[in-house]
Amino acid sequence: MVDPANTTLGRMLLDQITPAVMVLRTPLVEESCRRNGLSFIEMLNPFCYFNNIDGTVHEALSAELWNWVAKERLKQAITDAGDKDISDLCSDPPEIRNAVTTSELEFVPSWFQIFNKELVDTVSFSDHEAFDHPVACLVAVSSKDIDPIDKFVDLFNTNQLPSLLNDGAMDPKILKYFLLVHDNDTGMLEKATSILTEMRRTFGVKDCRLLCINSSLDGLEEHQENPWADYVRKFLKFDIYYFLLASLIVKLAGIQKNHTSHKQQFVGFLNMDDIGELRTTVQDLSSKHIIPHMELKIRVLNQQVSVTRKGFRNQIKNLWWRKGKEDAPDEHNGPTYTFSSIESQIRVLGDYAFMLQDYELALSNYRLISTDYKLDKAWTRFAGVQEMMGLCYFMLDQSRKDAEYCMENAFRTYLKVPSGMRNATRCGLWWAEMLKARSQYKDAAGVYFRISGEEPLHSAVMLEQASYCYLLSTPIMLRKYGFHLVLSGDLYQKCGQIKHAIRTYKGALSVFKGSAWVHIRDHVHFHIGKWYAFLGIFGEAVKHMLQILACSHQPRATQELFLRGFFQVIQETGKTFEIFRLQLPLINFPLTKVVFEDHRTFASPAAANIEESLWQSLEEDMIPSLSVIRTNWLESQPKVIPKNYKESNVCVSGESIKVDVSFKNPLQIPLSISNVSLMCEYSAESNGTESDSSSTLIDYQNALEMRAVSTSGDESLDASFFTLSEVDILMQGGETISVQLRVTPKVEGTLKVVGVRWKLSGSVVGVCDFDSDVVRKKVKGKRKPKQSIKGILKFLVIKNLPRLHGVIHDLPKTVYEGDIRCLTLEIRNPSKISVKSLKLRVSHPRFINIADQEVIKQEFPTCLEKQADSQNSTYLDTPKDTNSIFVFPETEPICWEKPLVWPLWFRAAVAGNVSLYITIYYEMEDKSTLIIYRTLRMYYNLKVRFKKKYELIVAVFKAVSAACNSLEYLRVLPSLEVTFQLSPCPSRLHEFLVRMDIINRTTSESFQVNQLSCVGYQWELTILQSTDSGFPSDVLMAGQALSCFFKLKTRVTGEDNVSSLSTSGRADVKLCARDSKRLYDTSISPFNIFHHHEKVHQKRPDQDHENTVDFILITESQRDRDPEVSRSKEIFTYYTCHCRIARTTPISWLMNGPQIVRHDFSAAICEINLKITVHNSSEDNVSVRFTTHDSTPINAVSNSASISGNELGWYDISRSGDIKGASDVMGTRAGKTILPESVSPFIWSGSTSTRFNLDQLSSIEVPLQICVFSPGTYDLSNYSLHWNLLPAGGNGVTENESRVSSGTCQGHSYHITVLQKD
Amino acid sequence: MASTACFMIVSKHDIPIYEAEVGTVPKKEDAAHQHQFILHAALDIVQDVAWTTSAMFLKGVDRFDDLVVSVYVTAGHTRLMLLHDSRNDDGIKSFFQEVHELYIKTILNPLYLPGSRITSSHFDTKVRALARKHM
Repeated sequence: MVDPANTTLGRMLLDQITPAVMVLRTPLVEESCRRNGLSFIEMLNPFCYFNNIDGTVHEALSAELWNWVAKERLKQAITDAGDKDISDLCSDPPEIRNAVTTSELEFVPSWFQIFNKELVDTVSFSDHEAFDHPVACLVAVSSKDIDPIDKFVDLFNTNQLPSLLNDGAMDPKILKYFLLVHDNDTGMLEKATSILTEMRRTFGVKDCRLLCINSSLDGLEEHQENPWADYVRKFLKFDIYYFLLASLIVKLAGIQKNHTSHKQQFVGFLNMDDIGELRTTVQDLSSKHIIPHMELKIRVLNQQVSVTRKGFRNQIKNLWWRKGKEDAPDEHNGPTYTFSSIESQIRVLGDYAFMLQDYELALSNYRLISTDYKLDKAWTRFAGVQEMMGLCYFMLDQSRKDAEYCMENAFRTYLKVPSGMRNATRCGLWWAEMLKARSQYKDAAGVYFRISGEEPLHSAVMLEQASYCYLLSTPIMLRKYGFHLVLSGDLYQKCGQIKHAIRTYKGALSVFKGSAWVHIRDHVHFHIGKWYAFLGIFGEAVKHMLQILACSHQPRATQELFLRGFFQVIQETGKTFEIFRLQLPLINFPLTKVVFEDHRTFASPAAANIEESLWQSLEEDMIPSLSVIRTNWLESQPKVIPKNYKESNVCVSGESIKVDVSFKNPLQIPLSISNVSLMCEYSAESNGTESDSSSTLIDYQNALEMRAVSTSGDESLDASFFTLSEVDILMQGGETISVQLRVTPKVEGTLKVVGVRWKLSGSVVGVCDFDSDVVRKKVKGKRKPKQSIKGILKFLVIKNLPRLHGVIHDLPKTVYEGDIRCLTLEIRNPSKISVKSLKLRVSHPRFINIADQEVIKQEFPTCLEKQADSQNSTYLDTPKDTNSIFVFPETEPICWEKPLVWPLWFRAAVAGNVSLYITIYYEMEDKSTLIIYRTLRMYYNLKVRFKKKYELIVAVFKAVSAACNSLEYLRVLPSLEVTFQLSPCPSRLHEFLVRMDIINRTTSESFQVNQLSCVGYQWELTILQSTDSGFPSDVLMAGQALSCFFKLKTRVTGEDNVSSLSTSGRADVKLCARDSKRLYDTSISPFNIFHHHEKVHQKRPDQDHENTVDFILITESQRDRDPEVSRSKEIFTYYTCHCRIARTTPISWLMNGPQIVRHDFSAAICEINLKITVHNSSEDNVSVRFTTHDSTPINAVSNSASISGNELGWYDISRSGDIKGASDVMGTRAGKTILPESVSPFIWSGSTSTRFNLDQLSSIEVPLQICVFSPGTYDLSNYSLHWNLLPAGGNGVTENESRVSSGTCQGHSYHITVLQKD
Repeated sequence: MASTACFMIVSKHDIPIYEAEVGTVPKKEDAAHQHQFILHAALDIVQDVAWTTSAMFLKGVDRFDDLVVSVYVTAGHTRLMLLHDSRNDDGIKSFFQEVHELYIKTILNPLYLPGSRITSSHFDTKVRALARKHM
């Protein structure tokens, strides 16, 4: 523990609790002193301190005046301190965490101690304590005064004396010291001496003295050593003293430093002798008068006290006596004590002992008196005594607990008393200092917080002191520090001390900077900004305001307040600011899209949105490979190869680069953004030496946060190289808007897009650099692009190239599924340079196909009809591979005037979500450019929308026309639903029944069913209904369903059929009754092309054998009421491919034999020869076992089997029905009627079981024989066929585990009638 | 029910991850930042007190004027802080315990990144309901 006297508090106490001297002087004394620019007291002051006697000079003033003066002085002190600090107001505070390690003094403002002292001084001269009471009175009279002796008496007797002396709280008989001030300049020394002798006679020899000043005659006395300057040094060294005086001294020091003539005027009249005399005078006063007087008084008082109060008897007496006074009225101050009362005397004794640093004595006296005061309920006095006890404990460095307890007690008691606040403040200050001296900073902060009273300025200072205590405490409490600084800042602001407020807030900011506690951060920044603006320091104000703009977490009202504050500040500056990284609005990174056209060109913006890989896969066969290009242009252009060609992109001058920038409004209030444009750098050099015009743009990365906008001369310069588009947007709260910004380069060279700039509310220009660190970091986080964003935004501008425009005309508005149309593709070349080798590729050939060019000249539906001479039709079973590239004939390179028109087949294949991509490749005639080919990409989107429960699938064909940029919607509606079902004909092996179901799914449309074709040489198709009666109804109304049956026959190879349709490979059936209708030729384009694609599309993986059939249904629409459609009819085609026969077994068989046999049973038993033909229709080899049963257990077995197999709901009703109905008629079949043991009416002859193997798709005939014993009708169904799939190559079984590999088939019923031959 | 109460969850890195005004008194304009200031400053006290006791519930660790700060420190050193002017300690304790359970459920959510802001509206309604129930 350090010596208590050397602590701050110790020095403060030594300084503060000292004997006071009252100074009374005549106006003339003051006047003579004024000649030196000093008051009398000021003149004495340095010596009092300098001589190190414990004497401070107090000016005796009335208490009320004191209060007022004190308040003013406090205010003055703070204001001055504030002004002093303004110089470093703008500088950033030191980093708080580093500062903590440095010493305390550097951080805590020094004026706190001055302020605290002022505060303590405000409560001096109170009546409850004695250490402020003057122990002596210095009476000064000038020798110029008339009748100086009387003046001495008058001075002491007038009512200028403090009230304390008059109302009896203080002993009026104090030590008096009479001083005659003589001005050597004006008066005669002799006169003064005579007065002095008279004084000595009147007042006593010891107590009188003559003080000569202003001895310098000419007033030009030079001093080697100025005591006031010394004083200045002292002041600076110890850093504590009266502030007012300090300011004066500072002034003096400044003057002296400058060696001006004023200095001589101020101090010139005092020569060294005078100063020496001043010193001795004060020395004399203190050492010869005051201290002996005090010691004497202590001795007297001590004796008196020990007589009346010390000892057991006195204590008992005192106690008893005090008890008697308990009825006294409970006043806060208790009874009034005059100076002669024993209580006052004890107090005076204590105080004197304290002043003379006899703390033990002081403490014992204070202890003695404190119980008395407590019993008397004299609370103020009690508190005062407690306070002094605490200080005594501290100075003695005894029991800390007691010291704290006393201080706490005193503080509380002061607070209890009305108007005790000021005393409490002083007590608190001392207490806090005490705690600080013991490094209990946290507690000290608490005390400071408690003494921050109702007066805002005072509280502010206290809170600030508290905050520094938190900073100094261990562990460091930064958050408390910040909070208390903010609290004090608020109070400073309340009483107009804006500079102090800013200072404290800036201190707090070092804690809260970068904090996630957003409300705190916003509050601090907003207020600092506001206050800076108030002081007119707009640069700082804007800087702080910027921090709070993007406050999405705040309520709307606060956001408005912040924004309004910001604009107000901006307005007051009167300038347009350009702010780097303005937070309003936010820009979402990475940039969504950069669209530029090098060799890729886009017909519509929508096409540009498609993923690049899709286009690339579409174009991969069309474009020459990369290495080829390289060598090509290397050869053709060997001179300049830009080094950075690889990194930068290529664009064509005159074609705009589009950058999509997405802005987000983080606020809930609408923002108006204007003049959004890109910032670009242009350099003529293509190999990237950053030179010429690009240097006009300032490098934004160099921490250029903000600058006032100059007239944009650089932009006008750049305007000749490129043009920028400007966009104005109005953003609603929370809205995200994507803006497409364009820059169109005009001249060849290198263009770099550096950033984007915009104007917020017409007053603030925001600048965002795409290449800044923040952006780069974000991009890196998202994905690792091959090219950095810098690379993406750097462009090599090359000279003008032709650019084709393409559009598909006649896109229908509404279309039904299956509709076939002829569209035209128009390709135009607006530039004068012609292009060649056009190629085209479509992503979905099911929908769009290239037609022959002649088609465009023909009338659409009729050209598809079958020609009379069939040789015209060139048959193509597999039409040319339309999935590959279509190469336009090289007849004419398309030029500027003449557009190329080409027909396209369109078929709405399916109501589904399909995107159509069309890409057109072309090459330049001019070989001298970097880009020798380009592609035109066209994109059309088909969207499906489901409506209601009814499966009305609405496909929206969204086509964006490149020409007018307007959206066209095409609806693809479902029209007919066609299903085919094939079943084998039971009576013929090579014939099948076809059932066609058509449902009209439309709501209003009716269709005319025109024609059904099936594709393939091997088929013949005939309708089952007779064509004479006509088709049931050839017009299908909306919602109508229709079924009709056809017979499909396999044409036996070798047999030359009469059908005339054989040449085309199509079997057509006319379904229309009207004869005028002609059949369509389904073997020609576009039917065959679309058939090909449909076949490929509908192919299922397990269907790989040839034994399927494809059907084409052609209908026409019956639409008469649609006048806008100019065409007479619309054709719809429906392709159903890969239809196959529904089978459960791989084999089919047919029993062949006579139906009726006549036989003479009398002669012999009848033997009938039969044949069974078994056909294997599967693709595997089958082993078949043919088994006959003589008895008929089959029914029983099959019945039970069918029941057990179909227990779950399905029951073979037909069979049981057959049993009942047929048993009466036939009588031979029903198993139930015939007993199992009864002999069968016929028997199979030959082996009961035959096994044979069947190759795939082959047939075999097996001879059979039965013996019949009596005439009748017999059902030969009591046989069964067991089949077994034979694994083809060993892997046949494993690849199809799920398939049934074996089974048993019951025989079909085959009736044979045997008659008795007559 | 407390007339003023501000509830806040502070992650172990001293970042507020959830905040709610759960008092009955209509919110004053400057209350939001004032409450943040008080709670933020109270963290200094909590960091001292939390290691001196094994209890999770630290009742009334700090005060400002008539507002008291009570804190519940979870095992992961997430702090549930409540600024209140009521004296219903039992209620506050059970409030904390139930919010702690809720918080645990939140961090069990695999989509919730620990230490990030809790934006779940379900959590918000639950917390407000608990505040009504216990205070």
